[in-house]
Amino acid sequence: MPSTTLEHEVELIIEDVGGGGKPPAPGGGDEDGGGKGRRGKQPSPRRYYTGITLAIVSILMFFMALASAFIVRRGTGTDWIPVHIPVILWVNTTVLLFSSFTLEMARRCLAKGNLVEFRALWAGTTLLGLLFLAGQVMAWRQLFLQGIFVASNPGSSFFYVFTGLHGVHLLGGVAALLYVAVRDFAKAKVSRPVAAEIVGHYWHFMDGLWVFLLALLYLGK
Amino acid sequence: MLRAGLGVFGGLVDGEMGIHDESYGMESQEPGLEFSPNGELSHAAGCRRGFLRRFLFSTDHKTIGLQYLWLALLCVFFGMAMSLLMRVNLMWPEAGANFLRGFSKTPEHYAALTLLHGSLMVFFVLTAAPQAGLGNYLLPLQIGARETAFPHLNLLAVWLTAASAAGITASFFLAPERGVQLWVVGVAVFCLAALLVAINFSVTAIDLRGAGMALPRLPLTVWAWFINALLSVLIFSILLAACALLLSDMWIGTRFFHTAFIDRGALGASGVAVVTWQRLFWFFAQAEVYVAMLPCFGIVTHLLATFARRPVWKERAVVLALCGVGAFGFCIWGGHMFATGMNPGMPMLFGVLALSLGVPASVLLLSWFATLWNGRLLWNTSALFVLGFISLFLSGCFSGLFLAREDIALLANGGDFVSGHFHLVMGVSATFAVLAALFFWFPKLFGRWLNEPLGKVHFWLTFVGVFCVFMPMHWMGLMGRARPGMDAAAARHGGVGTFITLAALVTVAAQGIFLFNLLETLWRGELVLECNPWRATTLEWTDRAVDGLRAFRGAYEFDESGSIDDFIPQYVAPDRVAYRQVSRSG
Repeated sequence: MPSTTLEHEVELIIEDVGGGGKPPAPGGGDEDGGGKGRRGKQPSPRRYYTGITLAIVSILMFFMALASAFIVRRGTGTDWIPVHIPVILWVNTTVLLFSSFTLEMARRCLAKGNLVEFRALWAGTTLLGLLFLAGQVMAWRQLFLQGIFVASNPGSSFFYVFTGLHGVHLLGGVAALLYVAVRDFAKAKVSRPVAAEIVGHYWHFMDGLWVFLLALLYLGK
Repeated sequence: MLRAGLGVFGGLVDGEMGIHDESYGMESQEPGLEFSPNGELSHAAGCRRGFLRRFLFSTDHKTIGLQYLWLALLCVFFGMAMSLLMRVNLMWPEAGANFLRGFSKTPEHYAALTLLHGSLMVFFVLTAAPQAGLGNYLLPLQIGARETAFPHLNLLAVWLTAASAAGITASFFLAPERGVQLWVVGVAVFCLAALLVAINFSVTAIDLRGAGMALPRLPLTVWAWFINALLSVLIFSILLAACALLLSDMWIGTRFFHTAFIDRGALGASGVAVVTWQRLFWFFAQAEVYVAMLPCFGIVTHLLATFARRPVWKERAVVLALCGVGAFGFCIWGGHMFATGMNPGMPMLFGVLALSLGVPASVLLLSWFATLWNGRLLWNTSALFVLGFISLFLSGCFSGLFLAREDIALLANGGDFVSGHFHLVMGVSATFAVLAALFFWFPKLFGRWLNEPLGKVHFWLTFVGVFCVFMPMHWMGLMGRARPGMDAAAARHGGVGTFITLAALVTVAAQGIFLFNLLETLWRGELVLECNPWRATTLEWTDRAVDGLRAFRGAYEFDESGSIDDFIPQYVAPDRVAYRQVSRSG
């Protein structure tokens, strides 16, 4: 471009570099309102939903890695002896699936404001969870009596590790159920229905995860 | 003096640091704290929090970010000292044996030294510093959030990380069997901490973005931290599972990978089972490279735009490229399995996947060069480190092309070629990005300027030094030399080994300049007198309270005019910007 040409430009002038926008909202609470810019006294519970979703993804990857190790180890080793699934595991599975049902019933009661029934069903869910764990221990005991120990062969090792690690995660779920039951939500950052829903997500995930692990152990033996 | 010293660790600056006090006070506001009308944290309120809550058990994201950075600094100097020990031992084994007493006489201790160097550098420097350190400090500020989503998990994560660092370091001093066990526990604890950080960052970026901070307006640093957090959620779970299986092998006698890792006698008998370990490990480890690099890509792009006073070229393409690096990086783990044997079709697939990583890498490089093209870069130490990063990254890309080919990878796997490649592309370049970030954000972090002349001397010595150390390694690798072991005669091959060792000595010594610069600046460095010294656009540079902030525009509105107001910060509303027609001689 020749140097004598006049070039028109748009120049930006910032009138107030020190800041802009609306003045701070008084008493904006402890939380940020999220992408939509909502602010209020009641914090948005969205972070807890997102948090539990990511935690579930993370736990899923954890168990997928174990499942991948299961498949590779089974395919490459010569020392693999299949484990016969104890019958009680099918009973346990039914118990766990039923606990998901009672949990949803409890949430429905809570939504209707029926706190007494909610508490009963919630406690029922917790008991079913504990019953499942007790059943898993009994399954272990049955295998012990048959002389199948954790270090017997890779097949039995995977059985104990899968059931054990799932049990530990489910124990966390039981703790969360108890927390929702006893917590005074008047002082909490979230309401009881929200907490119950978040725990519900985790519990159903544990349910589905167990069905997957059982299928893997059964079909992959 | 004591208060100033504590402030350095805790992220709260002393009263003398002028205008930044306001922003620190307001941003770290917690319920129950008292603020004076101009936003300063009142002295009485500050004292009531006590030492432990304020500096050690603070849930404030800035304090936690600085704690990660200090930990990384400690580990990087330990790690460098160990690499020097290895080089000296390799070159002059007699001197090494005398110097190290019992350590270097047994292969276990030499292996432990290598392992400790690698784990300190990879976990606590390359993973922790760019992501957990800088991310914790800056991510909430840049998106207009007051805190991270789960501050208490954040606190738990930083302490788990510190415990893991202590455990991994302590493992070096134990007998090999117990040392390895403690090391695995340390790694598992680090995985847990990394998962907590990753979940916290992801949720913060998804749900806590301030008013107006829509996704297209996010700074690229935030995009990088966010994508990296999602990738971390996936891969650290895998390493945690691998550690769980390994520990059960060690403690309860299972045979997932056999006992080869703790019982050398059984090594030959367990070749098949080791593949199980390699699959899990490389699933994590290849992606870990991108976990270290992704935040650096974000930082470099962000800094380049600010220094060149230009919008990022094809900003959306850069975001897609960052996503691509995350996605491809997750998929190319099989590249490390060429040498172990796999389905005949798989090397082809993984080779193609590895090469396709070149697409997002090219987009990033193109964007950086296009942003620089004909620009008037502000030449400062931070910009030099950014350019150094690009140079190192390019070198790493070229040697990566070799490794993506199955035949060459088979030749080079486990050799000096790979050592040189990953040290350049992952270790050193990521460190350059962190140094660039430190020089850039130091005014924000501590209210002072790092010394520029010292910084430039440090840069040039390091830049030349690392090329002298790692480029010859590529050559040695292609000559087919095995991984450095205890065979000193081979290491002297043509004097290249001596050259590398001397270059390493000089490079590590040059880091003393940085340490001196850092400590001297903290003690009596030049104060930063303005709120936004770089004339940057993102929200962390405003002195306004976070509650009043709203993002009205993208993060890179620069106009290259060179004038004092050649930028529009994100928080400036459209009605505060007037446009006028001007004419000037072209």
